[in-house]
Amino acid sequence: MAYHLPQLLRRSAEQRPQATAVCARGCTLTYRELEERSNQLAHLLRERGIQKGDRVGLYFPKSVESLVAMFGILKAGAGYVPLDPEQPPARAGYIIGNCKMKGLVTDSLRLGRLDRETTGRLALQIVSGEPAEKELGNSVSWESLASYRSDRPLDLQPVTTDLAYILYTSGSTGEPKGVMLSHQNALTFVEWCANAFHVHPEDQLSGHAPLHFDLSVFDIYNAIEAGATLHMVPEDILIFPASVAKFIETHNISIWYSVPGALVQLALHGKLTKERFPKLRTILFAGEVFPIKHLQRLAELLPDVELYNLYGPTETNVCTYYPVDRSRLAEMEALPIGSACGNTEVFAVDEQGQRVIHAGGKGELYVRGPSVTLGYWGDPEKTRKMVVPNPFQPNFAENVYRTGDVVVLRSDGDYDFLGRRDNQVKVRGYRVELGEVEAALLRHSAVSEAGAFATADPVNGSRIHAVVALHNGSRLSESDLQQHCALHLPRYMVPANIQLCEHLPRTSTGKIDRERLKAEVQPTSS
Amino acid sequence: MGKMEPALIRDWVREFIMKIAVRRGVPKLADDDSLTSTGVLDSVGIFRLVFFVEETFSVAIGDEEITSENFRSINAIQEFVLGKLDEA
Repeated sequence: MAYHLPQLLRRSAEQRPQATAVCARGCTLTYRELEERSNQLAHLLRERGIQKGDRVGLYFPKSVESLVAMFGILKAGAGYVPLDPEQPPARAGYIIGNCKMKGLVTDSLRLGRLDRETTGRLALQIVSGEPAEKELGNSVSWESLASYRSDRPLDLQPVTTDLAYILYTSGSTGEPKGVMLSHQNALTFVEWCANAFHVHPEDQLSGHAPLHFDLSVFDIYNAIEAGATLHMVPEDILIFPASVAKFIETHNISIWYSVPGALVQLALHGKLTKERFPKLRTILFAGEVFPIKHLQRLAELLPDVELYNLYGPTETNVCTYYPVDRSRLAEMEALPIGSACGNTEVFAVDEQGQRVIHAGGKGELYVRGPSVTLGYWGDPEKTRKMVVPNPFQPNFAENVYRTGDVVVLRSDGDYDFLGRRDNQVKVRGYRVELGEVEAALLRHSAVSEAGAFATADPVNGSRIHAVVALHNGSRLSESDLQQHCALHLPRYMVPANIQLCEHLPRTSTGKIDRERLKAEVQPTSS
Repeated sequence: MGKMEPALIRDWVREFIMKIAVRRGVPKLADDDSLTSTGVLDSVGIFRLVFFVEETFSVAIGDEEITSENFRSINAIQEFVLGKLDEA
């Protein structure tokens, strides 16, 4: 049993050195090449001062080098932090500062977008492509990797609970928060998937999700664990269902994992037929609720493909799953999130603090087991709120994770997802805290009040809307405000509509009344 | 729809796309810039654009034609529309 993620790669590199590990934009790496290049990166990182427990960022579009970087950073004993390559540079800069990142693997284009304060914080920058103008003495080129030793770096006595990576998600207080995942957290999920989905060396896995999104953990580590091949889906075809369908066909993808939205588009516009994808055997989806109508369509188009609904917050990766039963789809109103994955326990706690044991009982879902996050980077207070002592374990200390998701227990033992306890919504599978959207709007000096709310959207899960009041005498248009948001928020968080009003409706306690906003403000179509 | 000036096609497409782009924090866009990597188009926006092209230029666009080759930039869309008009 592996207890450190690089062991998965080492084993496959020993067993299948010549097999293709990863393929992206026409570039491929064999298992031996991936093992050796990541060793070289680990040597470079160590030589340049990266130490055990340091954080090293990844800030470039996904490519075969992404895997070299991830494994190289882990082998050096550090944790990696994947940054959304398209997010506003100011947000990337915040994350770099927040986790006290010591090194950054990036390209010259993106390095050039970061401000001097941010780049000055980084002790080491590894840059691919043309050198940037403001390159400092702490930069080395990615190409210089080739001059480093390719044997395995000295073992630093890794422990399975060491930090492996930090994934930043939307934060309700206005800044993104870093969810820390250990080797054990990731391996718990990867080992369960390997058995549950029988991933084998001949499999061709899709890499649809970006690396800062936890769906990519399955794609990468389960491909490597099995000695299979990972095919990164290029970002520029993602919105074109015909191009994505062609990709699945051309690369003989056998296991596909994505958010439901991508599958809805494929079912509607991808010209899917059973004959076109003879190798496709398993489709996994997660991140948001799959509308039943579209899932039925997908199930009809691909009658021989196994479909699984995976559920779980970044803090536990995936904690429940539901194998889709085609014969029951027609009568279903909503898709269950199912029951706990292996090596994981889930239970619901009702408003009285009692464990839900009877069918029909509702409560907040709690997760117990080795997949539960180490907590939030640099935020012990938030960690204590969400990673709490197990209320049903009186005899010793044990933590469980409160998901904030409200579920109902079904008579068959599965759970159904009902909604959130807070103001988090999902857009294209990404978590969006409406508070972060409001905080971004309030950063504009002309904005006095801001309220955000979401409405349902069949493809993207939800659509974000905002209502804003301006200080006296200020004039701003909707698109001015959207442009302002785009400087602070990833694009999926920028409100589709922003309306102006004199004052926002408030509750008796003075908080913005989102329910009234939603009811009173008619979103205009855009 | 008879013969259309290529420049006119580009201008109409550009006008439509810039309305979306500005709202997404992309105030400037060259005719050859990628509409996806700049984030101008998302999975909903692409179908609005297809609908606009169909209505404006009276062409029918099949699902198999909604690809990155045909819609990656303003120039690519212009080329694609010209091709469709020639077919008609």
